[in-house]
Amino acid sequence: MLQPEALQLRTEGRDEQQERRLSESEEGNNPFSFTPQIIRLHKDHELFEDGDIHRHMYLQDLYISEAEDKPALSVSEFACHISGCSGVFSALEEYEHHYNALHRHVCCSCRRSLPSARLLDIHIQEWHDSLFTILAQKQDMYQCLVEGCGQTFRTNKHRKDHLIRIHKYPPDFRFDKTKKERGRRETKRKEQKDAAMEVVDDVCESEGVCEVMCNSPSDEPEGGESMETHECEEKATTEDVLAAAQDTESTAPRKPQYSYRIPNTVCFGHGSVRGFRGRRGRRK
Amino acid sequence: MWRLNKVRHKAGQQGGSLEELRLKRRENERALRQARRDRQLVSKRLLLNEDEEQPDVSMDTAPGGHDIVSLLHKLQHSGTEKEAHLKALSKVLRDPAAQLTFIKHENSMHLLVGLLTGSNAQCRLQAVRCLHELSHSSHTNVAPACLPATPYLLTYLSGPSTKFTELCLYTLGNMCPDSDVVREKLLAQGIIPALASCIENQRHTLAVVEAAAFTLSQLLQARDAPEKIIPIVLKSTLPSHLLSVLTPDPQFGLAPAIECAWCLHYLICSTDDNKELLAQGALSQCSSLLVSLGGAVTEGNKEDGIELLIWPLLRCVGNILSSCPEEDLNAQLTDAHLPASLCGLVQAYLHTLPALARETVWVLNNLTAHSTEFCSALLTLNLVPGLIQLLPFSQGINTMILRILANIAHKKKVFCVQLMQLGLLSALCATLKMADQEMVIQSLDILFMMTVSSPVVAEEFVRQDGLSLLEVLQYNGAAEMRQRSTYLLEKHLLSYQQHITVDNMPDP
Repeated sequence: MLQPEALQLRTEGRDEQQERRLSESEEGNNPFSFTPQIIRLHKDHELFEDGDIHRHMYLQDLYISEAEDKPALSVSEFACHISGCSGVFSALEEYEHHYNALHRHVCCSCRRSLPSARLLDIHIQEWHDSLFTILAQKQDMYQCLVEGCGQTFRTNKHRKDHLIRIHKYPPDFRFDKTKKERGRRETKRKEQKDAAMEVVDDVCESEGVCEVMCNSPSDEPEGGESMETHECEEKATTEDVLAAAQDTESTAPRKPQYSYRIPNTVCFGHGSVRGFRGRRGRRK
Repeated sequence: MWRLNKVRHKAGQQGGSLEELRLKRRENERALRQARRDRQLVSKRLLLNEDEEQPDVSMDTAPGGHDIVSLLHKLQHSGTEKEAHLKALSKVLRDPAAQLTFIKHENSMHLLVGLLTGSNAQCRLQAVRCLHELSHSSHTNVAPACLPATPYLLTYLSGPSTKFTELCLYTLGNMCPDSDVVREKLLAQGIIPALASCIENQRHTLAVVEAAAFTLSQLLQARDAPEKIIPIVLKSTLPSHLLSVLTPDPQFGLAPAIECAWCLHYLICSTDDNKELLAQGALSQCSSLLVSLGGAVTEGNKEDGIELLIWPLLRCVGNILSSCPEEDLNAQLTDAHLPASLCGLVQAYLHTLPALARETVWVLNNLTAHSTEFCSALLTLNLVPGLIQLLPFSQGINTMILRILANIAHKKKVFCVQLMQLGLLSALCATLKMADQEMVIQSLDILFMMTVSSPVVAEEFVRQDGLSLLEVLQYNGAAEMRQRSTYLLEKHLLSYQQHITVDNMPDP
């Protein structure tokens, strides 16, 4: 029979790998399209520009053996690919620092970025765990934020007092705010979200925080000047994380500076509980 | 090399005007770049007199129409001093204004041609010197005025005097770019066969070979060359003569090889089908020479100007590979050292001539695109780690390197595993974070091929925390990135997750 032979001839010499890829691409939906290609360049191609100039400088008696202005060899920059974040970095370490500081410990439910896995856990527990709310009515559930202290308190305020008195924390510690004003802000953001939502379908709802932080300049604070920016970033996060009942005079003026346009961020990283892995139905 | 020596000498002598020289170079470079963008990149060569060290335009006496006219008058009427007058005339004709005056003057060319073809050898030499100065003019209407001389110049190409022949050749070469009419006439007058026999007969006179190949290169760069000139050249014996110059032997002259290599480059890149040139051994010849040059460079024998030859050879090899069927590749490319030499060239020129390094990796891509043997060679010769280390460098270098690595990964599953063992996955974890979209997409493409090839690779990628990188990309603004990362995660990598807990199991 002709057919099997033809099939055999066609696949003869091909690696299994290529066959598997072929069958995958025949499935459809496979977005990968790389095939090896020989690239032909015509005489006037821009890739040839420098070489042509070099040649003609020689023809015109302008050749010098040592290049006097050493052509700068460019290095690729890195960029934070989180949608809405426009950070660009010249070194990988800078990128990693940025990512770890702003994107790693993100609460999936409310998009807030916390500086550590522990604080994220505490945040999720105190904010998004209904069981916690119930238990807290009867037990000391509010943990001291200082690692190793171990004490627990009946209310948020008790904990705060403890932090100030015992651990000498500032009264306006950013990562310990109540969620008193949260509701108001969230409804406001929800309206904006509907308008801006484009890509993400069934992912955890994203809200303004990461966007606020990510739109800041990418340079990590080194000197005093940039330190302020960084602080502003952080203030912004915590502002809407737990809008302070106290310290209103410090919070109110800062908030309007930032846009709360919804970024298409989602939570990821090991710290977040409600991961999206396994969710399907991404709109393509 | 006579050209380079002169420039260095000039720079060394005038310490004070070194800055001037620099400025002039920069200006010229700018002008050349603009000319290239306008597709009008043209250069002429000026052969200096023996007693000259530099093209000195400043004259002792103020040039002007007055001088020309009086000199012409003297030439017409003097007997024994014609040679002296011609010499003076050639000096005056260095000046652009004088050139214009000359051609406007009635009978001036007629007079000159008469002296060019006369019985006095010295006068002939000085006459051709005058024509040479005229040919070097930047005014495009000067060259056509010299047309009456060309049949004689062509005839003289087969003459015995080296200096004379050189001057004829460079004069013709300088005239070629200036107008279609000039080229048409030259072609009709048989410039191609003349050049062919010139190179053939004077094969061992390096200066003549250089001059002839230069002239040919001027013809080959013309706008209408692909239709009108190149077919004729390909049918002639010129290609084989050009190739014969590209053999590295002890008598090897860099300058003639440079001109011949550029000619070949113009020939190869102007036609899609280079089967004839392949049959004449163009690929093997060029690649062998590249290998020996690459060897010299990596050993530190960077002769001045060697890159002027490496450059066109790279282009010849790169482009002619597209005409070489895969099955013939091994027969054509007899030198197995080519991959290693190319990698050596990249390292050698990365910081001094990044554009050259870029073209070299382009050639490597073309070499590895359809050849399992060359992909395998890159692995066995341990050239891949060096390539991976080049991934930080942008402006076309790292994207091309990713192509090469993708070429390798595409061929065989076992290659993917080897690439993983050489550290490609961790390199990809970095390139996936780059700002350049093309880099990210290509990285995803390679990652796909590698993870599909073997569970070992997929597991290792997960172990290196690659999943979080992909998750980030799922929500990127560019569709190509979203589609690829989602596909990879959902179809191939989720099964390798080691930390799925009950809390984050997918909703049923």
